[in-house]
Amino acid sequence: MRIQTILKQNKMKTLNIKKFAVVAILLGVFGFAFTAAPDRITVKGSDTMVILAQKWAEVYMKSNPNAAIQVTGGGSGVGISALINGATDIANASRKMKPSEKDKLKARYNTLGVEVACAKDGITVYLHPSNKVKELTIEQLGKIFRGEIKNWKEVGGADADIRLYGRENSSGTYVFFQENVVKGDYASNCQTLPGTAAVVNAVKKDANGIGYGGAAYAEGIEICKVKQDANSPGYVASAETIAKNQYPISRYLYMYLKNRPTGAMKSYIDWILSPEGQKLVVEMGYFPVK
Amino acid sequence: MKRLSLIALMLIFALSYNANAQEASVNEKLSEMNDKVNGLTERLATDEADLQKLTKIKVSGYIQAQYQNYENLNTQPTNFLSIRRARLKFTYETADGIKFVLQPDFSPGAIALKDAYVILNDRWTKSFSLWAGKFNRPNYEVEYSSSQREILERSLVIRTLYPGERAVGAKLEFNPVNVPFHLQLALLNGNDGLTIANSAGTNLNTNENKDIDNYKDIMVRATYNLSLGSFGGLDFGAHGYFGSLKSNALKTLNSDYTTIKDVKFGDAVKRNWIGGEFQLFADILGGMSLKGEYIAGKNATIGYSPVAAVGTTAAAPGVANFQNSFAGYYIYFIKNLGKKNQFAFRYDYYDPNTDITGKDVTIAKYTSADATNLKNRVSGKSDLATSTFGFALHHYFDDNLRISLNYDIVNNEKVGTTAGVSNLMENYTKADGTVVKNGLDYSKNVNNNLLTLRIQAKF
Repeated sequence: MRIQTILKQNKMKTLNIKKFAVVAILLGVFGFAFTAAPDRITVKGSDTMVILAQKWAEVYMKSNPNAAIQVTGGGSGVGISALINGATDIANASRKMKPSEKDKLKARYNTLGVEVACAKDGITVYLHPSNKVKELTIEQLGKIFRGEIKNWKEVGGADADIRLYGRENSSGTYVFFQENVVKGDYASNCQTLPGTAAVVNAVKKDANGIGYGGAAYAEGIEICKVKQDANSPGYVASAETIAKNQYPISRYLYMYLKNRPTGAMKSYIDWILSPEGQKLVVEMGYFPVK
Repeated sequence: MKRLSLIALMLIFALSYNANAQEASVNEKLSEMNDKVNGLTERLATDEADLQKLTKIKVSGYIQAQYQNYENLNTQPTNFLSIRRARLKFTYETADGIKFVLQPDFSPGAIALKDAYVILNDRWTKSFSLWAGKFNRPNYEVEYSSSQREILERSLVIRTLYPGERAVGAKLEFNPVNVPFHLQLALLNGNDGLTIANSAGTNLNTNENKDIDNYKDIMVRATYNLSLGSFGGLDFGAHGYFGSLKSNALKTLNSDYTTIKDVKFGDAVKRNWIGGEFQLFADILGGMSLKGEYIAGKNATIGYSPVAAVGTTAAAPGVANFQNSFAGYYIYFIKNLGKKNQFAFRYDYYDPNTDITGKDVTIAKYTSADATNLKNRVSGKSDLATSTFGFALHHYFDDNLRISLNYDIVNNEKVGTTAGVSNLMENYTKADGTVVKNGLDYSKNVNNNLLTLRIQAKF
């Protein structure tokens, strides 16, 4: 009899906890199931894309006064991390999302993300205008940035040490240039700078400097022609050379989203891909996707 | 007039001397500054190089603190607060594709080494990597970090087959560039987390850093990520475990409790199983996923040999090795609720003995012919299947902080009755120490439900 009473009491307690747990979980589900979509769009990521993204936002907000778009840089890796941890709606990236980043997105949001190729870019090699060297092969560039070629005279220039300027490892440009040109580790004396504009400025001031970055930033410096190999002609990044796949280090620029865009976000993305949005791509020194 | 001219001349001379002296002083200062800037630039370059080395060291970690309420009558205390995990992970990635990982787990009063491995990445094809040390066994739920897991604990089948998740060994990974195919092939000691008892009940497998026998186990896992366009993606794959443990007994009993065969000491007792897995990710209403895995095969428990009488110590019979056919599976449904919340449901099932049903349990089919040398082994609680319905709700304050409420409803396979009395009952002990005789009746469901409220902080 006593045992039955104890069992009954325990059963009561069990039922209460069970009820509490089920009610709490269901309340949570229904309470949060219909969370409203944000009115504000935040964009974060690639420094290469930041001037283009700011221009898009500025022009779009003029014709759509209800839209509030906030754009910041930080690098492709920073943008993708922000997308994964919910700190941004759009991640701008000058490289593709890595499988490890996709796995994080899967784990956190149960989606694979949405990739929107929104522009093209040619990674440009910057030289000081006084530099006698005017063109380099991919192999020579690789050797220079790996630290295997240390003096300009080894590639037909003056007898002077080569000074390297590059991006931080959170930058998509850093990763793309490493994978497609450096094909190894950057030399330890390569100075990392926070943004393409900083790389351009450093090369402007350094007669023996060399740097890389987006084509849109190449102002007031010498653009080095890039050759696929010693027997190929050298090209600079232009709409024509990129469209014809002649320029050897061109790439797509992407916007990554967690989910398929809807509402205000969809309208914005559609506008970016429209002739009006793509016209701004050209105006800002990038290359259109279509 | 002459005097005036002389004064003017002297003034011009004095001014020009002063100007020259000033110019010399400015040049000197400029040169000094230039030297200082050059010195600073040099120091900056050295500091930057040093800093770059430091950026190769990454430290991450997480702490999980929780409150749990057990409904099992045999669990005392029924509710308590605890630290489930307090981990720090150190990763050092060298420039030439070598990665070192060290992860200790701190719990009150103990520190345990969870991960300690080195990864050598192939620099040429960038597709292969070789792992050596102690790392997670290649299985989806094992490799899925507890800091991300949607139902707070792994499924029972995984916890049973891969106790402690990690194993000491070597692993070759093949991740071809631009092909979403992944292959893992591991060679493991195979004794990690297992209990191999002797006649006194002492676990012989206590050295986690050394194999207990000469048999090595092989694990293989292959997965493919299939894109389903704008709908989402499907990852699917299979894994297999092919291993053995050294026999310490002279007989091996099958889990049908009928088939028994003679073996020699040192013979291999096989532990083989295979499994299939899938993870479907769909971009529907903010993101959802469906994940599942099915595993079946034969596992084994090692027995021990009889002990001969020595002096006044009586002879003790041995216990046969036990090879059980098992099957288990789990299926998850996970739905994101806005940006900050997530709901998860999982059903998991594990039958440790597919050769007999619950109704057969405790009905002895095998009786030792020689009770001096071999203990009788009858079926019991360890042969009963368990199914669990798990519900969880997570709130992410930000990337670092998650609070989770999880409720598991656990059901056991039922045993039969004889003349209205359950074939399997157990005592339980109350909080005051009173033993309740036959208070747990396995012909009915024995309440094992569990409520967990967990807060997790990671960085």
